[in-house]
Amino acid sequence: MRTPLTRAAAPAFALAALGFAWLYPSQAAAQAQQVPIPEQPSAAPQIEIAGTGVVTLDLGRSRNSTPDGGRASGSQVNLSDTSLTVGAAQRLYKGGIGSLTIGGLALDQTNTGRGTQVFLHQAFADYQDQTLEAYIGRTDQPTAQIVTFPTLRGDDLITFTDLLDPFSSGENVEEHRYSNVAAVTLNQKLTTFENFHVQHLIDSTSTNLGPSTGTGLNSYGASIQRLGLPGLEAVEKVVSYGAGYEHRSVGRSDGGSSEALYAGGVVNLKPSLVNLVDLRVLDNYTFGNNLSSFRSTTDTFRANSNAVTAAVRYLHSPFGKPAYQVSLTAGYKSYSKVSRAGSIGLALTGVKRLGDGFDVVAQYVYQHRGDALSNAYGGAREENALQLGFVFNFDTLFNRSVGPRRSLLNLQHQYIPN
Amino acid sequence: MKLFHKKSTEETPLPEEPKSREAAPSDVSRRQFMTGAVGAAGAGLLLGQSALPTWADTAAPMDKPATVWDAEFNPAGTAPQFDPREMPKAGEVIHKFAMEVTIGVHEIVPGIKAHMFLFNGSYPGPTLRVPENEWVEVTLTNKSPENHTIHWHGMMLANEMDGVPFGTQWPVFTGQGYRYLFRAQPAGTHFYHCHVMTTLHQQAGLVGALIVEAKDDIVKKTFPYTRDYTLLLSEIDTNWVNEQLNEMTGMGLTMNAMNGDMKLMGEMNGRMMGWFQDKEAFLKAVKDGYIPAYTTAMVGPNRVITPNFFMINGKSYPMTDPLLIRKGENIRVRLIGGGMQPHYFHLHGHDFWHICQDGAPLASPVRMNTIPVFPGTTSDIVIQGTNPGSWHFHDHSDLATTNNGIHPGGMMTMLMYEDEEKYGVTFKDVIQTNS
Repeated sequence: MRTPLTRAAAPAFALAALGFAWLYPSQAAAQAQQVPIPEQPSAAPQIEIAGTGVVTLDLGRSRNSTPDGGRASGSQVNLSDTSLTVGAAQRLYKGGIGSLTIGGLALDQTNTGRGTQVFLHQAFADYQDQTLEAYIGRTDQPTAQIVTFPTLRGDDLITFTDLLDPFSSGENVEEHRYSNVAAVTLNQKLTTFENFHVQHLIDSTSTNLGPSTGTGLNSYGASIQRLGLPGLEAVEKVVSYGAGYEHRSVGRSDGGSSEALYAGGVVNLKPSLVNLVDLRVLDNYTFGNNLSSFRSTTDTFRANSNAVTAAVRYLHSPFGKPAYQVSLTAGYKSYSKVSRAGSIGLALTGVKRLGDGFDVVAQYVYQHRGDALSNAYGGAREENALQLGFVFNFDTLFNRSVGPRRSLLNLQHQYIPN
Repeated sequence: MKLFHKKSTEETPLPEEPKSREAAPSDVSRRQFMTGAVGAAGAGLLLGQSALPTWADTAAPMDKPATVWDAEFNPAGTAPQFDPREMPKAGEVIHKFAMEVTIGVHEIVPGIKAHMFLFNGSYPGPTLRVPENEWVEVTLTNKSPENHTIHWHGMMLANEMDGVPFGTQWPVFTGQGYRYLFRAQPAGTHFYHCHVMTTLHQQAGLVGALIVEAKDDIVKKTFPYTRDYTLLLSEIDTNWVNEQLNEMTGMGLTMNAMNGDMKLMGEMNGRMMGWFQDKEAFLKAVKDGYIPAYTTAMVGPNRVITPNFFMINGKSYPMTDPLLIRKGENIRVRLIGGGMQPHYFHLHGHDFWHICQDGAPLASPVRMNTIPVFPGTTSDIVIQGTNPGSWHFHDHSDLATTNNGIHPGGMMTMLMYEDEEKYGVTFKDVIQTNS
């Protein structure tokens, strides 16, 4: 969900000095945080509530469980990646849209009941008009927006599908997907988008630029993406494609800066409303870092590597509604300066739709790591996991008053900021 | 070929001013003179005016009813005058119109634009005005990505010309055309609208006025008028229309893309669109797994259609056009319920005559000052210029006098006397909007 937020810039004293006492907020509003211009009761914004519940019974998962490389089995009731997001949006005076989005997501630790339970994965304000979007706050890493894969959870094959955070300790995989971002996105005809951004990739290692509480900017980059017409994804041959560059300021003691190039896209192998087959491909290539061995899991996020991921998906929609989907996602990753560190990952995912937004799901995940890499992962050389469960997904608008900027009507007819 | 691009609020030349008081004497004008003189004196004192208006300068038409109202009750009166299945004969006049449907942008009030379906680029569509019993040929060309028809609301015509998709004709697909041919009967105020997904298509713009001019106009005989106004009343939920139009456009473009691809064409079938040959086919599809949309809760607080703009001829106050009148003049006003809600039009400072309903003259005119206009109905009234000034004429269901929930707005207009100053009314109506 990307809904945009308005935050006025003029200082409060300017109007207070003029004696506009009526501008001061009501008692209830006074309970909220201070804002530059206190708001009098006004038109209610559009409210969007989106939620995803991903609950599975996992069997045979053995992540980091056996340092000696031996086999171990395990099981758990897994509720990670379950999230709730709330957005507020409204039209601005001159045709723009302002919005605020806040959301939390359940972490792997939530399964155990220990440590941090919920991760703030969205907390950003956004301004957008016909030609420009600017957003600041915690949200998806811009590098993670070119291609998404049809695995059950976003982190199932994350070492292949995402450009990894070189400042993450590895305890929380969501640090690879979300960051603190300030970005500007330009576009041409709402079809081609150029994103320029700076980031604070979450630093949980305390080995880089000062203490672990550091929040300074440690990454910047740019990306370009082209999107097909909304609503025609099933019948167009090329759905989307894009590429980007990212610089991550890794300290010299950790091998120096890590540069990244990435490119990918989605094409329909068989455009169809009934029997859709599509292919997703993404390559993440990093270079510039001098590490030639792994001292920790974090080093596996920094060392030069190349990861290629591809997914083939079949979606069956016999009556214009999705009925079931089967997908196979496969990834291969190698390190250019570290030998015996290659890895492969596979995810076979099946989804059967029981009702709008409610699915029964099954997924088998297999990962194999070379010796050097498995040592960095606590000895886990192979991992097999079978997951069975339900997914409930909803996205509901209240006080609908802000239309999507990238709508078919706006793309094919005169743009209206509604 | 005739093209109508005129706005539906049409103005005809003004009646001539009476040369002198003697030019239009009547009992009515004398009574007005007496009561008006007293009223004006009071107003003059209050307003500090030194010159009193002359109230007796009434124009001729209102004071000169040519005949009495001669409508008669006829038990067989609903039968069409001509067999609807007749075809034109040699020498009969055929009025031809070209109607093209596109998607475009319509501005309701400054700052509020909406993507809409448009007939010949306008909303509402052009007012079609044809003489009673003459032939009408309308060629519909669909240049939008959705399917359309035209239903001739109130016309007694051949079944195939009625414009009901899947009922009397196939819908007109993108790039296709359809020729409607019918005799303009019965006379009166009617309208036309698209009958495909009417809830969306009519609300999204495909509606317009159809005026069948009576050869022997009882209204004109009894209430000689020279100005004839048509007010098409409609509402729109701009957010719902935007959402639905995007969805329908996507579906239409998808179908068009499939049309151009042999492999994809094989997937095109009625069940994908929710079309079935008969009940048995529908039941079989449900048995095979088809899920009707109405079973999956496409209703609820977020989906209920909630109009936020209320329009007269496609515009909301303050952009509505006023009705112009002069003292002593009759004007005919045709009110068309072209939307989905009832409206209750009230005229300040006057009574008026309700003369026709759904095109047909009433057995006797009814005097009133507030007239209900229900969806799908038309009501003709005659307003008589009896009280100079600028008077509100608006829906008295006040939700409809708002723009996006802000009053004033919506279905408000004015009855404005062009000669009001002559009668001492000097206050100028000001446009209001809420800050």
